[in-house]
Amino acid sequence: MTTRRSLIAATAGLPMATLLPGAARAQQRFNSLYVFVPAGPGGGWDGLGRAIEQASRSAGLVNSFQFDNVGGAGGTVGLPRFVGQRRGRGDAIMVAGAVMVGAVLTNRTPVGLKDVTPIARMTTEPGVIVVPASSDLRDLAGFMAALRANPGAVSVGGGSAGGIDHITLGLLLKSLGKNAREASYVAFAGGGPAQAAILGAQVRAGISGVSEFAEQIKAGRMRALATTGETRSLDGVPTLKESGIDIVIGNWRGVFGAPGINATQRQALSDYIGALVATPQWKEIVARQGWDEAYLSGADFERFLARDQADTEQVLRDIGLVT
Amino acid sequence: MRDTQRSDLGAAVFVLVLGLVAAWQAAVIPTTPLYAQVGPKAIPYLIAAGLIALGIGLVAAALRGGWSHDLEDMQGAPRTNWRALSLLLAGLLANIALIVPFGFTVAATVQFTLVAAAFGSTAHARNVVIAFIVSLGAYALFVKALGVNIGAGVIEALVFGDPG
Amino acid sequence: METLSGLAMGFGHALTLTNLGWALLGCFLGTAIGVLPGIGPALTIALLLPITFSVPATGAFILFCGVFYGAMYGGSTTSILLNTPGESGSIITSLEGAKMAKNGRAGPALATAAIGSFVAGTVGTIGIAFLGPVVVELALKLGPAEYFCLMVLCFVTVSAVLGGSALRGLTSLFFGLLLGLVGIDLQTGQPRLTFGIPELLDGVNVVLVAVALFAVGETLYLAWRYVEGKQEVLPVGSIMMSKTDWKRSFWPWVRGAGIGFPFGVMPAGGTEMPTMLSYYMERKLTKPEHQKEFGTTGAIEGVAGPEAANNAAAAGILVPMLTLGLPTSATAAIMLSAFQSYGIQPGPLLFTSQAELVWTLIASLFIANVMLVVLNLPLVGLWARILTIPQPQLYAGILVFATIGTYGISNSVVDLFLLYGIGIIAMFMRRFDFPVAPVVIGMILGPMAEQALRQAMTISQGDWSVFVTRPISLAILLVAVAALVGPRLYGAWVRRMAA
Repeated sequence: MTTRRSLIAATAGLPMATLLPGAARAQQRFNSLYVFVPAGPGGGWDGLGRAIEQASRSAGLVNSFQFDNVGGAGGTVGLPRFVGQRRGRGDAIMVAGAVMVGAVLTNRTPVGLKDVTPIARMTTEPGVIVVPASSDLRDLAGFMAALRANPGAVSVGGGSAGGIDHITLGLLLKSLGKNAREASYVAFAGGGPAQAAILGAQVRAGISGVSEFAEQIKAGRMRALATTGETRSLDGVPTLKESGIDIVIGNWRGVFGAPGINATQRQALSDYIGALVATPQWKEIVARQGWDEAYLSGADFERFLARDQADTEQVLRDIGLVT
Repeated sequence: MRDTQRSDLGAAVFVLVLGLVAAWQAAVIPTTPLYAQVGPKAIPYLIAAGLIALGIGLVAAALRGGWSHDLEDMQGAPRTNWRALSLLLAGLLANIALIVPFGFTVAATVQFTLVAAAFGSTAHARNVVIAFIVSLGAYALFVKALGVNIGAGVIEALVFGDPG
Repeated sequence: METLSGLAMGFGHALTLTNLGWALLGCFLGTAIGVLPGIGPALTIALLLPITFSVPATGAFILFCGVFYGAMYGGSTTSILLNTPGESGSIITSLEGAKMAKNGRAGPALATAAIGSFVAGTVGTIGIAFLGPVVVELALKLGPAEYFCLMVLCFVTVSAVLGGSALRGLTSLFFGLLLGLVGIDLQTGQPRLTFGIPELLDGVNVVLVAVALFAVGETLYLAWRYVEGKQEVLPVGSIMMSKTDWKRSFWPWVRGAGIGFPFGVMPAGGTEMPTMLSYYMERKLTKPEHQKEFGTTGAIEGVAGPEAANNAAAAGILVPMLTLGLPTSATAAIMLSAFQSYGIQPGPLLFTSQAELVWTLIASLFIANVMLVVLNLPLVGLWARILTIPQPQLYAGILVFATIGTYGISNSVVDLFLLYGIGIIAMFMRRFDFPVAPVVIGMILGPMAEQALRQAMTISQGDWSVFVTRPISLAILLVAVAALVGPRLYGAWVRRMAA
């Protein structure tokens, strides 16, 4: 339905350039693939979908793509539509991730990720805990001590309530033996206002994806206390795990198949994504976008998904968003 | 009671009911255990209270004689044109009913023809043709050139081969 | 001096044939999509993003900036002609603009909007080049407490659009506040007034409500009162602005641009608040002999001011984006992701690390602005002719147009129900003399004010005195009081002097 290339072709008259001319063309996996993005154009899920298209086409894995964007409510408006319209279709994928795990729980939707077929996790973006450059909180220990003393006095800015930033703070409080609901969490609509509030020291600290704050940290306007990934994401900044707090959390994004597809169809999608992530075209896009590759498929991905859902649900229960 | 006064009372009661619905909806917002100085229910209650107070004020105004009879617009206003109004509403309903099963072009063509008829156009056949061409053109512009889906359906499948 | 040499370098790069071509293409596309229903600059640039795979960075950003400024020019056209605003920043423009069009003054309204956009775009771009970094540091001093006070100040605007009765005007305002509540509460994640409909979780779109109130409601009312056989064709009148029009527009342009730019720079400012303040200001400052045109035949000041404010604010939004890498609007967020696909990390270091790109971009904003006014002024006559379409087809066209803008973007029938349902309510509001403008003002300001209030209260741990102990917020509150009481006191004083 939505074909973006037409706009470019119509306006700029430019052929879509292949990224690596002359690169080895792989065996074609699909003639046409339908990509469902349960968010509007321009966001993270859309970006991943577009990158999949770009790499697949230039590597010759898929001949043509068809996109459909249905945004709203963390993907829970689009999800039922994908489930309803694509049942049993082996040539359809949906882009989704951590945000949808939370949204399905908080919005109490009858249709959930259990209704689609997990194919693979593709990327992840760890979070980072920062304070304004002028803050008296020097390091993670100082931040945790302040939280332990009085969580209400440590206002922490981030994205919407119940989102990954909020869940991260909840997990930190739990590690101190406190309840997530004691957090003095200030939700901002969008990354801009949140960053501005931290830069202007309106809040004591902030939590968000590493890429959102990386430049401010580099410029010395924010101080990074810790990142939330498995390994370090920023030079000289420890992970929570290294600091003795057993929390690993990130905004992962991945690919799901339609409900009710058979084992062969599922294997074909799985093989296709496996082949895609091995191409140099894919590696180049990942590097340029600064994404952390986090490819995980099959039973490993299902195990990861189950754990992520359990962790998320527990924190959301504590803060009263799941009852 | 004058006619205008009776309808003013109706409008006033509508506002009052809206306020009551707002209060009921504010009451059913789940109480959150989150640390928040001002919770999610405070402002909704405030707005509901405001609407109820204004509703009561309007009811009082209506009972004292209403306000419509003083309105400039109502002086010598033509009578309700049921034919035009129902044709127009039919146009709106037709769009809602047709856009999903039959697609944008059909829905827009029916809507356009009905609305034009509401405002006294009798050249129905000409309106259908104009509407059909213009909406198919709009569809092509939005979907083919811009990549924004405005609703594919029967005609779109025939002309462009888009799946509905 | 650094700025001037930067600008000189920027113009040097921007004035190549290829880059001028990109700018022209962007302006053209931007104007076109600004006129199309439902498609704003953010969506267009998002759809254009794949060109970052094949076009050099400079060309792509010149194109994006052309689209961005162009959409601002085009956005006012439908507000004025069809009473269907395409973005929240041009809702206020349609208050007076549509009335002018209805009274045979479509040409001057469109022209003052276009020239106002030029003035504001130029002021805004000069602001970006010379004041950017300074203003943005000041803007960072504003926290949720200050934003709440700014919103209180903007609520004063409502007093100018209450209409014949304060009781009915306030009812409209509260109806708007109620609509603004719909959706997931940002601070706690709880759904409010959603009645279990998932499409309502993200709230009701304010542009949808404005189109429903202004265009759908009006059309329904006209059908209700339609007299069979009576065919009216709207007068088109003179296309050009008269000398008086110029005189009446000049200061509103300047004032609107002056208010708009700082709001755009503020990370939580946006384009809506300055349009409201500008409208209020022009309504209060206009000469007594033009006062009665407001809300009746349409006053040109009410188009010139808000439209300039809207455009200057839009330019201002580029300041936090370029100087700090902050995405404070949907468009800025998408432009930032375009920077990323070139491997450029936008942030506080952008001006030094990518000086050439940034200055070329600023220079091309100036160029785009000139192109746009040259492109748009001749279009005025063409657009105004739309009004000569016979009434039945014109109204039918407006409804189809409103429908595309609503359904096309969300693909949701729920939105169509909302559009028509609120339209029917608006028809009755018109019949019972409830003004519709307070609804949109309440709907825009209500949610912003509530969130700012609650953010401020969480930060202060429940201390209500923050609003008066923080100097800037106290100052804004005092301005609000002055804005509400001032004109009355002044009026009383003038009357006493005259007596």
